[in-house]
Amino acid sequence: MSNFAGKAYGMNVITPLRWWTAIWQQIIFWVVVKTFPYFVKGLLTLSLIHYARWTIINRWSFPHLDKSQPKEKLHYSYMLFESNFNGSWDQYIDSFSFAIPSGLDMFWRWNIRYPKSIPLHDFYNYIRFNQVETNHYYNAYPLAASNDVKSAQTLFEGLTELAQQVDELTDDDFLARYNNFLADHQESLGSMDVGPVMTLNPAKEA
Amino acid sequence: MANTFGESYGLTCLCPIKNGQCETNDDDNFDLASYDKITRRRLQTLPLNEQSPFAKVPDTYFARLFILNDVFFEQGNEVKRDHLKSKYLVFTSNFHGELEPYLEGMWHNAESEIRNIWQYAVGFERVNDAASFIEYIKKCQLTTTLFFNGSTDKSLKQQLKSLYVKQVFSEFMLLNQGKNAADLKAAFKEFLQDVELDNPDSPSWVPGQTQLSPSPANTSENA
Repeated sequence: MSNFAGKAYGMNVITPLRWWTAIWQQIIFWVVVKTFPYFVKGLLTLSLIHYARWTIINRWSFPHLDKSQPKEKLHYSYMLFESNFNGSWDQYIDSFSFAIPSGLDMFWRWNIRYPKSIPLHDFYNYIRFNQVETNHYYNAYPLAASNDVKSAQTLFEGLTELAQQVDELTDDDFLARYNNFLADHQESLGSMDVGPVMTLNPAKEA
Repeated sequence: MANTFGESYGLTCLCPIKNGQCETNDDDNFDLASYDKITRRRLQTLPLNEQSPFAKVPDTYFARLFILNDVFFEQGNEVKRDHLKSKYLVFTSNFHGELEPYLEGMWHNAESEIRNIWQYAVGFERVNDAASFIEYIKKCQLTTTLFFNGSTDKSLKQQLKSLYVKQVFSEFMLLNQGKNAADLKAAFKEFLQDVELDNPDSPSWVPGQTQLSPSPANTSENA
């Protein structure tokens, strides 16, 4: 089991929903995509997320590749949720629940036995029960958090601009510009390194 | 519906694993004779981080592999019970660019690992080159319903370069505090020469890197 890769945690949650509500759910997701970010502004505030996805697997759409493979006969369709985020399992669930409770309810509302995102305790149990552990997890930048990736790009663009000006500036003008640059980009500065060891999913590990 | 978000692609695949078990297996462990258990053990023992096969696959931000044994959920009398007839190797990847070039790069850079991981997958016996691997993965692919990119939309090479520059510039800033204007400007120009902002390949971080490398800022300071 390797749900961690450096500072990132990889979560997989698979939950059932009735086949006809799965179709409604797909329509809702389609509206969310077409109107982005209107319905999921809260997601943008969760800067700890690198990437997340929801995939609805209709009960008839499990891949069937060969006659030798038995065909699935399922009562329910399923929703596979996958996220790559920084921090511990608990921190993520807390953040998700508090930042976008209505968004979570919109995404999971038709999932069987979904308890709603608030109160938190029931939501914890729901995710914990339906989580599948990752067997191999790869992260291209284990030393960096999602905010490091974003701030590094901002800093890189600023430095590129400063580098283009440096030869045209007097020493004193450069010093003034350099100091302004540091003030403008102070949120993007800071050393990275190996992250702290996070707790594993406590219930699964118990 | 939404496999892409900007330039990023979210690939989701469910690859059915053959039911049954080996008489003997190359993994030299007869307790793990069933195909799904052998596959899981292989996933669990793949090297990590910069040694992961995905570190060799261009433009992979994140990737994961796991076995879906069955579907399960809190049961109750009013809820019907489902069981899968196959176990599935779930492969998902977040990468920059388009699907076919990505899978082609995956095949060319990690063919032996791919053959090992997917050896017992249904239909994989027909995979023998990049084109057939692409065809196979597309058959296993599910359309991602909602894909959210919370990162930048840059190539992995650019992201790694930016992270490298962030690290070394943060060190440069600390090492050069209090210098007079002329010395600071000279040090900054030397820093720019060392980091080569317009060269995305080098110096930079490598995919999956778990240790900070010595920075040019330190090197020039110590010279």
